[in-house]
Formats: sequence, structure tokens, C-alpha cells
Amino acid sequence: MEYHPFIQFAAGEGVPMQTIALLLMLPLVATLVAFFRQVVGIKAFGIYTPSIVTFAFVAFDPKGFKYGIGIFLAVIFVGMVSRYILKPFRLLYLPRVAITLSLISFVMFAILIFGGYFQRTGLAAVSIFPLLIMITLAEKFVAVQIEKGNRVALLLAGETLVISLVGYALVSSSAVTLTMLVYPWLVLLAIPVNIMLGKWTGLRLVEYVRFYKILSKK
Amino acid sequence: MFELLKKSGGILGMNARNLEYVRPLNRRQAREIADNKLLAKRVLKKNDLPVPGLIAKIRTEEDLESFDWSTLPGSFALKPNRGFGGEGIVVVYGRKKGRDDAWVKANGSVITVDDLRAHIRNILDGSFSLTNTPDIAFFEERLKLLKLFKPYAYKGIPDIRVIVFNGIPIMAMLRLPTRQSDGKANLQQGAIGVGLDLATGTTTTAVLGKSHIIEHIPRTRLVLSGLKLPYWNEILRIAVESQRISGLGFLGADIALDRDRGPVILELNARPGLSIQVANLSGLKTRLNRVKGLKVRTTERGILLGKHLFGGEIEEEIEELSGRRVIGSTEKVKLIGKDGKEIEIEAKIDTGADSTSIDTALARELGFGDALSTFESRLGGQDVMKELSKEERQKLFSGIPDLADTVPVKSSHGTSYRPMVRIEFVMDTVTVPAKVSVIDRSGLEYPVIIGRKSLRKFLVDVNK
Repeated sequence: MEYHPFIQFAAGEGVPMQTIALLLMLPLVATLVAFFRQVVGIKAFGIYTPSIVTFAFVAFDPKGFKYGIGIFLAVIFVGMVSRYILKPFRLLYLPRVAITLSLISFVMFAILIFGGYFQRTGLAAVSIFPLLIMITLAEKFVAVQIEKGNRVALLLAGETLVISLVGYALVSSSAVTLTMLVYPWLVLLAIPVNIMLGKWTGLRLVEYVRFYKILSKK
Repeated sequence: MFELLKKSGGILGMNARNLEYVRPLNRRQAREIADNKLLAKRVLKKNDLPVPGLIAKIRTEEDLESFDWSTLPGSFALKPNRGFGGEGIVVVYGRKKGRDDAWVKANGSVITVDDLRAHIRNILDGSFSLTNTPDIAFFEERLKLLKLFKPYAYKGIPDIRVIVFNGIPIMAMLRLPTRQSDGKANLQQGAIGVGLDLATGTTTTAVLGKSHIIEHIPRTRLVLSGLKLPYWNEILRIAVESQRISGLGFLGADIALDRDRGPVILELNARPGLSIQVANLSGLKTRLNRVKGLKVRTTERGILLGKHLFGGEIEEEIEELSGRRVIGSTEKVKLIGKDGKEIEIEAKIDTGADSTSIDTALARELGFGDALSTFESRLGGQDVMKELSKEERQKLFSGIPDLADTVPVKSSHGTSYRPMVRIEFVMDTVTVPAKVSVIDRSGLEYPVIIGRKSLRKFLVDVNK
């Protein structure tokens, strides 16, 4: 199969093929997040975080699943622990987040060194940007943690992980990527689909569970 | 699954709430009143609605530095102006003994001026505000717990959430703070929500947190249903009034009951939560659709509509169980007399009276004029009647058409005899045949009293 002439033109002008693919995928991932929110009822940390974490996973390829989940969990874990460490100091918000980010940086450093020591160079070779993206995830986590407590923060982190993994499966699938490169106009479908999602007033799937008692009455 | 999807119509989900109600009905200006607690306080107070008193405001870091902590009373609530979901609120119950720079919180822990200062800095920084923008902190007078609630509420003050739409209260719930919710009345934080019967303000079913149905207060045997709230009409009135004043088309009004002042408005919500449906085991969407487009001219009318349309769940349940109708101490009845003549009138329900009686004029209107006249003409004076035996009396009045019986009525003047006629009456959709005595009740408030013999199919609720 041949790439769409537009893609060939763009590539010919020197736009890297991976950039083209990712730009075409972004609307797809964003729509996926919107779908999860409006129809399924999974909130996650907004739309930015799950989308960007999806692409961070992609950047960890070919071991996106393993490293992605590992680093994600490490960030959340350090975020949790740092809350307990920092609580007695009663710090203002931004300095507190700064310390948490520093702690996560140290842990990442340790993980990379550890990986190198055990000849797991795949991790150490990863570019710094996906790592940084994952670290900034901590800000979202800490913000929710302060306002809504540990439970909600963990729940939203879990939901973010789920959406990002589904997004990752989608973006890293060569079939999907190929389809998008051959039929790039498909990306325009994101707009009508999102208009539909934006007008969707039905119950979300999780609401069927939440209101089960009322639904099953009589 | 399809069956389930079809049933969803009755429930209001998050998508529909935002798109169909919050967005079009709660315009920005109105939302500002809900999101800005100080503004809401000012606006409501100006319109003579009760709100908790304001002690002090802290707008800036300078305000905080120059704040005189000794002006604070022993108990108060510290709140972020734009907080939501109960976040960032600190309530203290009294000064720590022997110190004027420390107070005691709901959970018994001590909070010092330094702690408060740090908390206020966080508020000013916007840590608790809806949009994380800089905020104002304020001290508010702490409400006093109603004695009735003492066994039910853990520390904090319970409040009543009333959803108002189109000038009509459509659903209500009592929110009880628990140990988990740290004395706060927000369901998200683990408080108990108890459904309320809109007609009477009596508790029905309860939900803990967001969707867990319970019958007792956890770890106690205190039953949550059947508690009747005081000031119910006043609660509904200020809820509906606050909608009119705020302009919020879809409003969740939070009202607390103060021991001294009665109902006060704590907060107005432009995005009321959906768990109220679980607490009431009933969908909001059905109710919203039923009152959509109704023209409601006055607050009283709106309250009446809400009570009639959505109240009476408890009553229905009792009626179902007992097979009897629940009526109040006065009821509308339709009297059916001779030849199907009908009169509708307000009757007094009197469980102290043996039989039912109606006014003479009324009996004449019902077509018993001839019978009554004949009866009066044959009736002798008291002393004459006294001499007659039962048989003789029966003979005296026999043959009068439509006269069913006579009845001796004892009064301070001795015994007199009154005629009885057979009618039927319809009360609360039930038709009851009755032999009623005809008495002159022209000077009395109710021309009809319904006595025990006619009340076998009813239960009387004096609160109604």
C-alpha cells in the first residue's frame, strides 16, 4: 500500500515520518480520552495528562508497556511517599511540589543507574523527554492529593494509566498507524465524533453502576 | 442491557446535568453568586434571607499580618471564599483551655494561630479555589447543633440540600457528617445522605458516601428513616426564594438548622451533585421533566406543587402496607345525597366522635328537606319525648321517607333527638356509605364532622 500523496509530499519536504504519524494520532488519542470521559465515565487527570503520557509510552517503544507502567508507578509511589515526608513541614504548594519533583528526579536517576548496572541499557538509552513528561505527572497527582485526598488521587492516577495504555495500544499498533498514513483524511472524523460526544446526554457506563439501585427498583 | 438503557431516562447523569441544566440555566452571572460565598451571603442577606454571620475577611497577605487574632470568638468556621465540595474549611469548637492562641477542632486536635495562618496562606494562594486562582479567606459564625440531630451527627452540623428548578423544590436530602467525613456534610467526603419526603420533610432511605445504601448510622443501631425535620415549610421557602434571588435556574441550596435561629442558608450550588438520587431512590430527570414549562407565580405555589407532585412517598408506603388511606385532620369530601345530589366541602376528621354528622342546612341542600320538616313537625318537647318508650318513639317517626333512624343527643340541657339520613361521601378517592346525624352546626367552623364509624378505611395523620 502506498502512503497518501499528501503524506508523501510532507515527507518529501523533510517532515520526519514519525512526526507525521504522531500528529495524525494526537486527534485520535484526544478523542479516545473524551470518549472515556463522556461515555464510559473515566475521569483521569483531564485530557492533557493521559494524552501526553500515551506519547511518553510510545517513546519508550519497543518496551513501552514494561517501562511505561514501571516509571508511571514509580512516579505515583514517590508522590505518595513524599506527601507523608513533607506533611510535618507545612509547606506552601509550589515549594512542596518542587521538592516532590526533585525526589522523583533522584529516584529516576537511581532507576537508570540500577538499569545500567544490570545491563538493562534499553531504559538508560531512552530520550530524556518522555521521562520528564512522566515526572511532571507528579504535579497533577500532588494537586489532586492535596485537594481531594489520597484515595481520589490514586483512583485518577489508575484511570490515567488505563486510558494511556489503551491509547498506547492504539498508537503503537502498526495497522492503525498505516491506516492513518494511507488515509490521513480519516483524522477529520475526530471533529464530528467529538461534536457527537459533546452533545451526548445519556448516562455514562459507570453511572449505570452508581445508580444501579434506582434502575433495578421495581 | 437494552431494557436498562431505556430505564436510564429517569436518572439525571453527569452529561445531561451539565449540558441540559447547568450550562443553559445557570448563566455566568448567576454562577458567580454560587461560587463566591461572600457575594452570596451579601445578596441573600439584603433580601432578608437568613445566612450565618460574618466575623472577618482576610483578602491579602497584609490583612493576614495585621489581623488581630484576639477578636476571634471561641468557635468559628474558617472558609475559602471560592472553595467547593467542602474543601479547605476549618471548624473550631472552643478555645484550648488556658490559651488564647489555640482552638480545638471537631476531631479533638488542637489548631494554633500559626496553623491557621498557614492555612489562610494556602487559601489566599488559591489551593482550594475552583480554578486555583488567588482567593479570600473568611471567618464565619459557627452554627449550633439542633438537639434533634445530636445522636445522628458526628461533630459537625448536618445540612439539608434542596434541588430547586423552575421555582419548585423537586428533591431534597439531609446530609449527616460522619467520623470519616471529619464533621463535614459533603457526600464526596464520606457523609451520609438521607432522602427526604418532600411533603413532610421526613427521612426515607439513606446512602453513605456516593452510592452505598444503609439503614443505620454505621456502628450504631440508630435507624435513619422516619426522622421528621422541624421548620420544613420554612426550609422549602428559603430554598425557593434563594433561587429567585440568585437567578440560578438549576439550584442546589444548602440549608442548615441553627438551634437558636432556625433554618439558615449555608451555600448555593450551581452544580449540585447527583447522589441525591440514590438517597431518594428516585431519578431527577423524571421530576425535572414533569415541572418543565410550568408557570409558577409565587413561592407558596411552587412549594405546594413540589409537595404534591413529589411528596407523599412515606404515605404511599403506609397505604400500601395497611390497605388504608392516610388523611389529615381536615379533608375535602364530596357528599352524595338524595337523587345523586353532590356537594363538595371541607370536613373535620374527629376520632372523638362516634358517628358522622352534617349541618341541617347542608342536609336540606342534599335533598332531605321534606324528611327534616316532617321530623320536626312530629317532634314533641323534651319532657314529652322523655316519657316515650323506645317502641313508641320508633312508631312516632316511622313512615317518614328518607329518615334512616333517630339518635339521642345528650347535652347540658338534657337529651334531645336528632334525625339520621343515609348518604354516601367520597374522601381521598374512597367512597363511604354512612348514616349521618343532622344537627344545627351553623355557628361552627366545619359543617361536617366525620366520626369513627366512617373512618374504618382511613388512618389519620395529624401532621398532614
